[in-house]
Amino acid sequence: MKLSKSPWVLHYDGSSCNGCDLEILDSTTPVYDVERFGVVNTGNPKHADIFLITGGINAQNAPVVKQLYSQMPDPKVVVAVGICACDGGVFKDCYNILGGVNKVIPVDIYVPGCAVKPEAVIDGLRKAAELLDQKQKQMKKKRAAARKEG
Amino acid sequence: MSTRSVVPFGPHHPVLPEPIHLDLVLEDEKVVDVIPSIGFIHRGLEKLVEKRDFRDFVYVAERMCGICSFMHGMSYCEAVEHIMGVELPPRAKYLRTIWCELSRLHSHLLWLGLLADAFGFESLFMQCWRLREKILDMFEASTGGRLIFSVNKIGGQRRDMDNAMLHGFVEKLGGLEEDLKGITSTFLANSAVNSRLKGVGYMTKKMAQEYGVAGPFMRASGIARDTRKLGYDAYGDLNFEPITSTEGDCYARTQVRVRELFQSIDLIRQAVAKIPEGPVAVPIRGFPKGEYMVRVEQPRGEAIYYVKANGTKFLDRFRVRTPTFANVPAMIELMKGCRLSEIPMLILTIDPCVSCIER
Amino acid sequence: MSLFTFAKTEFHNLFSRPVTEQYPQKPKQFKERTRGHIENNIDLCILCGMCARKCPSNAITVNRAERTWEIRPFSCVQCGSCVENCPKKCLSMCQSYTRPGPEQTARLLRKPQPAAKPQPAAKPKFSAAPAPVGKSAS
Repeated sequence: MKLSKSPWVLHYDGSSCNGCDLEILDSTTPVYDVERFGVVNTGNPKHADIFLITGGINAQNAPVVKQLYSQMPDPKVVVAVGICACDGGVFKDCYNILGGVNKVIPVDIYVPGCAVKPEAVIDGLRKAAELLDQKQKQMKKKRAAARKEG
Repeated sequence: MSTRSVVPFGPHHPVLPEPIHLDLVLEDEKVVDVIPSIGFIHRGLEKLVEKRDFRDFVYVAERMCGICSFMHGMSYCEAVEHIMGVELPPRAKYLRTIWCELSRLHSHLLWLGLLADAFGFESLFMQCWRLREKILDMFEASTGGRLIFSVNKIGGQRRDMDNAMLHGFVEKLGGLEEDLKGITSTFLANSAVNSRLKGVGYMTKKMAQEYGVAGPFMRASGIARDTRKLGYDAYGDLNFEPITSTEGDCYARTQVRVRELFQSIDLIRQAVAKIPEGPVAVPIRGFPKGEYMVRVEQPRGEAIYYVKANGTKFLDRFRVRTPTFANVPAMIELMKGCRLSEIPMLILTIDPCVSCIER
Repeated sequence: MSLFTFAKTEFHNLFSRPVTEQYPQKPKQFKERTRGHIENNIDLCILCGMCARKCPSNAITVNRAERTWEIRPFSCVQCGSCVENCPKKCLSMCQSYTRPGPEQTARLLRKPQPAAKPQPAAKPKFSAAPAPVGKSAS
């Protein structure tokens, strides 16, 4: 059963101006409708496969992001949405911004834009779904190898 | 003898798109105390004035918040223009007014959708945001961006909307008005929706004055004050009155915002009928020196911008008092004594924009 | 108070065309003014560095010594400030957005060295030449 047939998404705003968050919510609305691909915006990290995160992370938000990431079960994919999430954006020099999500958790896909277009979010989600399948295959191989040894 | 328990609400929750943390102290189902904890979006962008040329800081100011983006950039430009003594051409003022009212339309429709989502009426949320896409299309056609426009500069606007485009927008808004009447009748007349909104979060006029609240939150409790009546930009030439209600509960605030939607469409029609021809920007020379305060009516209420300049290309200080910052203490007070299921209603009733509070 | 206020919208949606944009199957139609990404006509560029100074997110790097102009599309906020301030108008804002990817790639453009101009014939160096033959003071 391929996870890419219906990846569930967890969305969190990590210190962004909330433009990119609105565009992510927009992609669930009827005009862009990301639910055609089986994507459901869930609020529970334990049900989610893809972590959509926006904003350059600030010092207070970093532990929250790490906790959400650790609560998601494997295989999981992190998608950094927006220029701020890629490398801090216009707020790179701010005293409170760590500068991009990759300073806190490992990122798999970067989606640029300020604010991102919903089509770019759909592109990012499709790439993330493919990556999810690859990670699932690797996990199965590891488990099969571990069972043979044990 | 009921025991007290503390339920942490946030910073990650499905109801709100932004992180804010509230510790709710509950006795059975009733909320007895609320302890807020903010700071998850604080970026410290006000300090960036010391590192960016004052002409380039517009791009940072408009990224303070994605919803109120146009007015933040516009107000920063207005403050610096006042300090430098720049007189804007009339067409630029009308263009700013039209974009402001379109921003207000889009913001109120966004809020209506989130409110419907908060009490579980997801179809209504989808309908509101489907209509909002028509306004975002107008933004993209005129400025190039759906949420962050980058059309403001010190001295005027970077782009013009020719009369054909403006008349096209007025026609589309006419069609939108018909659809809006259908959607808003659900909010105001449907008995299921009313049972969630009526009687929830009642605020008296005296409490609104004591807590210094702003915007539709204040106007729904009977105070008729609208900063647009000061006459900045082209508002002095337009004909409108502040919309108020006397009931002061969540239903009254919804009613005020719905009426403001129709008022915005009317204001855009008036502005397009009166807009003069002419240039949209004037060149600026030199550096600003002095200080100035600008007051602007954002969709959430009155916002105050203070700019202090010292004659060099870097400003001394840029300080913003956003309306949600003024509304949060009253919201906390309203939450004490309500049921746990009413918490999302009360948070959304002030139309919170957490990135505006914390900048 | 009424009960079936949403019914009219529901029936209308049930029997009308869906509004969904069939995005990946149908390519996106951009509007004329849409801000997507920046392109540079490197032949006209004089490597003055104005765009790099004006960029609010420091996405452009200009190196005069190596004659390169680099933009990081994963840092560009599509404000158009570089396009407005370019003295030679070689920068332009295009409509399509940068595609998402697993790495933050950058685009480097190298300005070729100008063709060597033909050198003028070497002037003879000054030396104590004999006086020209001709009229002489009497």
